[in-house]
Amino acid sequence: MAEHGKGPLAGIRVTDFSWVWAGPFCTLQLAHLGAEVIRIETTKRICVTRLLPPWAEGQPNPNTSGYFNQYNQGKRAITLDLQTSEGQEIARRLVAISDIVVENFAAGVLDRLGLGYEDLRKVKPDIIMISMSGYGQTGPLRHYISYGPAQVPMAGFSTLTGYRHWDQPMHVGLSYGDPNAGHHAAFAILAALWHRHHTGEGQYIDMSQWESTIALLGDAILHQQMMGYQPPRLGNRDPYMAPHGFFRCRPAEPGSLPEGMLLEDRWVSIACASDDEWRALCRVMERPELADDPRFATLEARKQNEDELERIVEEWTLTQDPFEATRKLQEAGVAAFPPLSNKELSEDEGLNAWGAFAEKEHPIVGVRKHIGIPWKLSRTPCEVWRAAPVLGQDNDYVFHQLLGMSEQEIAALKEKGVIV
Amino acid sequence: MPPRALEGLRVIECGRMVAAPYTAKLMADLGADVIKVEEPAGDPARARGPFPGGEPHPEKSGLFLYLNCNKRGITLDLTRPEGQELLRRLVAQADVLVHNYLPWEMEERGLDYASLSQTNPRLVMTSITPFGLDGPYRRYKAQDINVMAAGGWAWINGWPGHPEEPPLKAYGQQTEYQAGAVGAVATMGALLARLKDGQGQHVEVNAQAVVASFLEMTYAGWPYMRVVAVRWGQRPIHPVDFFRCKDGWIFVLCVEEHQWKAFVELMGNPEWAQWEVFKDRISRAQNYDALRPFLEDWIKDWTVDELYRAASERRIPFAPASTMGDLLRSDHLRARGFFVTIDHPAAGAYEYPGAPYKLSLTPWELRSPAPTLGQHNQEVYGGLLGLSQGEMEALKAARVI
Repeated sequence: MAEHGKGPLAGIRVTDFSWVWAGPFCTLQLAHLGAEVIRIETTKRICVTRLLPPWAEGQPNPNTSGYFNQYNQGKRAITLDLQTSEGQEIARRLVAISDIVVENFAAGVLDRLGLGYEDLRKVKPDIIMISMSGYGQTGPLRHYISYGPAQVPMAGFSTLTGYRHWDQPMHVGLSYGDPNAGHHAAFAILAALWHRHHTGEGQYIDMSQWESTIALLGDAILHQQMMGYQPPRLGNRDPYMAPHGFFRCRPAEPGSLPEGMLLEDRWVSIACASDDEWRALCRVMERPELADDPRFATLEARKQNEDELERIVEEWTLTQDPFEATRKLQEAGVAAFPPLSNKELSEDEGLNAWGAFAEKEHPIVGVRKHIGIPWKLSRTPCEVWRAAPVLGQDNDYVFHQLLGMSEQEIAALKEKGVIV
Repeated sequence: MPPRALEGLRVIECGRMVAAPYTAKLMADLGADVIKVEEPAGDPARARGPFPGGEPHPEKSGLFLYLNCNKRGITLDLTRPEGQELLRRLVAQADVLVHNYLPWEMEERGLDYASLSQTNPRLVMTSITPFGLDGPYRRYKAQDINVMAAGGWAWINGWPGHPEEPPLKAYGQQTEYQAGAVGAVATMGALLARLKDGQGQHVEVNAQAVVASFLEMTYAGWPYMRVVAVRWGQRPIHPVDFFRCKDGWIFVLCVEEHQWKAFVELMGNPEWAQWEVFKDRISRAQNYDALRPFLEDWIKDWTVDELYRAASERRIPFAPASTMGDLLRSDHLRARGFFVTIDHPAAGAYEYPGAPYKLSLTPWELRSPAPTLGQHNQEVYGGLLGLSQGEMEALKAARVI
C-alpha cells in the first residue's frame, strides 16, 4: 500500500467530524496537500453521501458510492459513536494529538457533545477549529439547518441565473454552496496554520456557508446599490462580450452516443471579447464580409443586433462537430469549448494529458477513474495516496497505533457499541 | 489592533478580471501586503460594470472595486523589457507572485518560473490557467463560459425536458472565483512547505480540472455506472424545486423522509399525502407531475418569508430565492456584521460583502478601498525599489509605468 506523508502538510493531522459535502470537500483539499485526515463516522448514522448513488454497478452499499469515494480520497476513517460518553472521550484524545478540527453540523451540536471549541482547546490549547454551518454560529437564524442545494437560492444565484425569456428562478446545476465553502474553509485553515507557526496560537473559525457563497456575488450586490436594481437574467449572454453563448452544432451520428443522450444535444461555447476575435470568428466561418458589416463591427453594434448575430453564428455551428469547431476556433484565437458531459470529461484529451485523474485501488470497487488534484506543486508534489476509505478501515491504526489502546480495550468498546 | 494572520507576506499580483485578483484578495483580507500590477490600460475588470448610474468609468467598476480592496496598485507595461526588469526587482522582494496570464504570455516576456526563481529562490509563483501549463490546450483561450463548458458544469445546468434550450451558464465568473480560491489554497500549501527549508516553488492551477473536481455526484456516474449526467432538475428525489409564493419564489427541499413528514404536517396532513404514489422520496420523484400541483396550490397563499420561517422552525431546510435587495435587508446578515461600507474616493460609499469566515484571533479586515490606477506608483517605485524621481519621470515618459 502507498505510504502516507508526502506533500506540504505532511505531519499535520486533522480530526474530521464533517459529513455530507461541504466539510468533506474542505478536508479533501487538506488531504490533497498531504495532511492526515481522520474521518469520524458511525454505522449508527451513516454519512449521507455513502447512501447516495452512483453506486458501483448500481449495487447500493455504503462503501460503493462514487459520490462518497470521489470526495474522500486520501483520507482515513474510523467508526466511533459520539453519542456515547466513551466515544466523546476518545474523540477528545484524538483531538489532543491533532492540529486541525473540521465540522459542519448545525450550530451548537458539537457543544452538546462536549466537543465544542472550548472543550477541545482544553485538551489541545493550540488547536485550529473550523465550524462550517449554513448560517454561522451567531445571528437570529443560527439554529436553522441548511443543505447545499438551498445555498444557491439563499445566496441569490437563482434570481440571477436563468434563461433570458423565462420568468422563474433557476438553480446552477450543483449544490454550489458546498464546494465553495470547502475551498474557502481550507484557505482559512491554512492561514490560521501560518499564524500558528509564527505565534504558537491556535484559533476558532466561524464560517457561514451562506456568507461565503454571497462572497461570489460582490458585483451583483454592488449593482443593486449602484443601479437601484439587480442584474437582469442574461441567460448565456454577457454585457461586455458578443457573441457569447452556447451554439447548437451538427447532430451526432445515430449510434455514436451512449444511451440517454440526444443526437441534437451538441453545442459549442463561443466567447468574443474583442473586435479582433469577432473578425477571427468571421474568417473561421468563411464569412469575411461580416467582419466589416456595420451591424457587427463593434461590440456595441453586436450587442444591438445580438439576435441576428447569434442566428448567423449558429447557422455555421449547425454544420460543425463541436470538437472540430473548437479546434478551428482556438487555432484562430477565439475562445471556444464544447460543454462536456461526465463521460466526455472522463475521456477528455487535455485532462488526461495533464494528469487530472486519480486511479487508486479501492478494496471494494477496485480502480475507478476519479477526478484528482486540480493543482500541481513543482517541488513538493501532491498526490492522492490512496482511495477513499471503507467504513472503519483505519480503526486499528487509529485506536491501536495512534491512541495506544490494547486489543482488549478495543474489543470491549466494540462490544459496548462505542466503536461502531 | 488584532494581529493579522498573513501579516508580513508580500504578494505581487499580475491579475486580470477575477481569478488571480481573487486569490490575492483572499490573502490581502487576512493581512498580506498585496501589490497589484496593472498594465497601463488597467485591469480589464475596470471596463466591466456595474457602474454607478450605469456610466462607465475606470475607477467606478463594482467588479473591480470589490475584488481589489486592501491592495496597493501600480501600473507597469509587462510587454517591454524595462517593465519586465522592474517586475523582476519587485519579485526579488516578494514571497508570492500570482498571475492569470496564459502560460505562453509569461514565457514570451521572460517572466516564467524558471527565470524568476533565479532572482528569488524563495518565491512561490502561482499560475492560474484555464487548462494547465502544458498539454494539448495550453494555447487555448477561455472565458468563464468556456471553462464552465470544459469542466463539465454547463452540461448539468439548465432545465430538463427542454431540449430546445442550450446548457446554461451560472451567473458571474464562477469558474474564475473557484480557480482563484484554489489558487489561494495551493499557494498557502507552498508557503507552508517553504517553512521547512526556505525554498519556493511553482504552483500551477488548472481551472478546467478545478471545475471537474466539484460536480457533486454527477461525474462519478460515468466511472461507477456508465450513466451519462443529465441536467439538474431531473432529480432522483422530490420535492426539490422552486415554487411561487404571493411575493416571490421559495425553494422547497425535502431530502430526508423526516423532512417530508414535517412538511406534510405543516400542510395540515392533507389526504393526498397518504397516497401510495407519494410514499417515499423516490416515488414522489417518479410521480412528481401529480405531486407538484398540490404543492403549488398550497404554497401560493404564503409569503416567502412566512413559509421559509415556518418550515425552518420545523427543521425543513427551505430557502428563499433571495434577491440582492433581500440580502442587503437580512436581519441575520446584519446581526453578524456581514456587509461592510467602503468609501472609495471616486466611486463613493457602498456596502460590500464582508468576511466569508470569522477567525477568532486574526480577523478578516478592511483597511483600504481598491486602488485607483497607478495610485501607489510613487510609494512602490520610489519607496520600495528606490528609483529616483528622474528615473520615474523617464519611465513615465516612455510609458513603461
